[in-house]
Amino acid sequence: MLITKLKSYNELIPCFSDKVFVIKCSGCKEVYLPEEEIDIFLEKQNQNIISIKRLDYLCNEDFSRTYSETYNNFIEKSDVVVIFSCGVGVQVISKILEYKKVFAGCDTNYINGFQGISAQSWDCRQCGECYLNYTGGICPITACSKHLLNGPCGGYKNGKCEVNSEMDCGWVMIYNRLLKQKKQEKLITKCRIRNYKKYISTDNKISK
Amino acid sequence: MIDYTKYKLKPVEEIREIFNQIDGSVFILICKKCYKEFSTNTELEKENLYNSLTEENKHKIVECIDIDFLCNNYHTKKAITDLSTKIIDFIKDSGAIGVISCGLGIQLVASLFEDKKVLALADSVPESGNSTSPQGYHGIALGKEKCGTCGQCYLNRTGGICPVVNCSKSLLNGPCGGAKNGKCEVNPDIPCAWEEIYFRLNKQNRPLLNEIQVRNFNIFPFKNKKEISEINLYSRGKDFLRGIHPLDKKNLTENSKIKTFPEPETVIIFLSQHAGAPAIPVVKVGDKVKIGQKIGEISGFISSPIHSSISGTITAIEEKTHPTLGRKMPAIIIKNDNKNEFDDSIKAVSLDNIPGEKVIEVLREKGIVGMGGAMFPTYVKLFSKKPIDTLIINGCECEPYLNGDNRLMIEYGDKIFKGIEIVKKTIGVQSVIIGIEENKPEAIESMKKQILGNDYIKISILKTKYPQGAEKILIKSILNRQIPEGGLPLDVGVVVLNISTLYAIYRAIYEGMPVIDRVITISGDYVKNPGNYLIKIGTPIKSIIDFTCGSDFIKSDDKNKKIFMGGPMMGILQMDIDTGLIKGTTGLTIMESYPVESSEERECIKCGRCVDVCPVDLFPLQYYYYGKKQDWQKTAEYKVKNCIECAACQYICSAKIDILKYIKKAKKYAYNKT
Repeated sequence: MLITKLKSYNELIPCFSDKVFVIKCSGCKEVYLPEEEIDIFLEKQNQNIISIKRLDYLCNEDFSRTYSETYNNFIEKSDVVVIFSCGVGVQVISKILEYKKVFAGCDTNYINGFQGISAQSWDCRQCGECYLNYTGGICPITACSKHLLNGPCGGYKNGKCEVNSEMDCGWVMIYNRLLKQKKQEKLITKCRIRNYKKYISTDNKISK
Repeated sequence: MIDYTKYKLKPVEEIREIFNQIDGSVFILICKKCYKEFSTNTELEKENLYNSLTEENKHKIVECIDIDFLCNNYHTKKAITDLSTKIIDFIKDSGAIGVISCGLGIQLVASLFEDKKVLALADSVPESGNSTSPQGYHGIALGKEKCGTCGQCYLNRTGGICPVVNCSKSLLNGPCGGAKNGKCEVNPDIPCAWEEIYFRLNKQNRPLLNEIQVRNFNIFPFKNKKEISEINLYSRGKDFLRGIHPLDKKNLTENSKIKTFPEPETVIIFLSQHAGAPAIPVVKVGDKVKIGQKIGEISGFISSPIHSSISGTITAIEEKTHPTLGRKMPAIIIKNDNKNEFDDSIKAVSLDNIPGEKVIEVLREKGIVGMGGAMFPTYVKLFSKKPIDTLIINGCECEPYLNGDNRLMIEYGDKIFKGIEIVKKTIGVQSVIIGIEENKPEAIESMKKQILGNDYIKISILKTKYPQGAEKILIKSILNRQIPEGGLPLDVGVVVLNISTLYAIYRAIYEGMPVIDRVITISGDYVKNPGNYLIKIGTPIKSIIDFTCGSDFIKSDDKNKKIFMGGPMMGILQMDIDTGLIKGTTGLTIMESYPVESSEERECIKCGRCVDVCPVDLFPLQYYYYGKKQDWQKTAEYKVKNCIECAACQYICSAKIDILKYIKKAKKYAYNKT
């Protein structure tokens, strides 16, 4: 699930030196869009702004084409189009407005969960070879910061990860889960090596 | 449309091995998939699973259950607890639970059944190939563009083509030099991203990289990630689950005092301004009427009389487009004589020693209906024989733009309090709760002052979230009571009244004034003087627009303008402005129309957002899917009767499907059938 954060002022201010048309993408607002921060920033830059539009789902190319047609007069008057959206929205608009300078106003980050708009407390990295059968349903790839598949690194302290002390050690969680199922012996029976080819190979995709 | 299905069944040998290790039965859960063309078919998965098993192992499977959006924490938990006891016994007795889903669904099921063995029978499908960070990121629409969520967007330097995901080496400082004929050396099927960047920048006469930004892999610490997840889960879970936070723009009118709208020249008073049978006219063309004179009489058990809002002459009784029903309905047209004469029937009612039934009768005669929009006659609500223990006052006004109730609470708190006392006495409830959203601090203060020293009445401060003010949701938020499917608040012992209705009740009793005017908010992008106005019922919409937007507004190009009676969420789009204000009009919002209109025709991509926002736990996408097939039996099975038509699903729909249209049709069928 992706979320957006406002870029630093140092990076943004140069984008506003020419005439600017601004698009805010509110499609993922229920997930996270720093709209208040964006508005505070835009207020300070208003001398060069031609217009600000609050649209949604720029990632949908059909919609984005309609938007750019509808607001063509603003786009033509402007030197730069600044977009506050995730990286997908910026790429779609830049593809449509090939001859225009299109700038991103946000950085895109990642939080757990795919579906819908609620964040999740677990995650799936789509490795293509699910390990959950061996680990009591807790994913070592996403829950362990080192993505270890053969047990804990030994560096955890009080159940917390040594890389990031705010994070729970995934292997401690796995051990406790298996303990509940009285299957802790499972931990030493098998170790499967990860096949990275599955991760990068395009043949693996379901046929379109 | 690109299919981003997240999982596929594990290889046959692996499934066999997994099953061989299981003693006892296996219970199977299958996710109906997401991010793909809509189909509810999981038969293929089942078939493939059975085909890959040996005879002996096939018998281990006791039951297969399909679940929509298996990774959705809330719905999956609910779906599993709602299973029949027989099936729950199957789960208890089974040796393992097999899950066919992406990793998220499997982990959720594993966390729900911690002491059970949970089998992963599917692998997630790796999507974006070379992306160096969490994968499969395509926003919400099913396009080709990917985002690597690196947290330091490079698109400003590269003409909008992302080097992190499109270059197979994720190079940030230019091409590696290995490209041949514009194709990548790692994978000759994909074009070299840096060549594309070069050509794009050339088109814009921009230099290729005058500086390089080094990638910072620690830009988004785990702590921030966790914080944002928690904020998100909190804001979605408070009071009632889900709901949305649309841009409310209340600041346009929240501080403007209630003003009296100029007296209209003519009024258009519809005979149907309430739920139930339309009133029957008791006047004829040419008659002179006074303010507050009854011009339409009750015509059934659920009905309401109507009154003249001005003094003048009746010029016609003719059909006009009804603002909420959208079809031609009879209306009484009255021309103002500007004498402002009041009818003799306007006399204050003394509350001393009169029984509750008498008060209810007065309210019926004065034409009091629910003024929050539904226009259900208030006397019917109060006359109910069902036991009522709580009166809830709805001061939420969760609809964007509107501030009428907010201003009423601030300016006429005393009158509203008196209205509450009347109702309390009439129906004899012990407890009164006023629900107000937390974004109205002034109103909360004002009402707190009024209720001082009265223990029976409480103020419940609710989270600002749409649709907090819908009856069903409000009862759930405040009392945690669930109205049965197709039921009314009365079924759970509650009466809900809106602030404007209470104000009307106060005026009916203390001033003897029937509903001839109300407070509405006029706001929106095109309104020059937005504000809250006390306005006569029947005021033509055209004259309101002339007054607030200027008289040339209508003549100019109309395509970009939308007039909503009510707010932008639940308000009704006015196709014909030759119509008048009715008792249930909470406001008028005049907006710029959105470039992409909702349509019934677009394809659902199963993103699951509608399921996530639905405040009454429905699956709105099913109404689209089965509605399109006209399978109304199925839509009824998905409990369409529970829908409150808040339009949150339509608001969030990433494909902009007109879900509400399907829901309305499905509801019609569901109610006609039973």
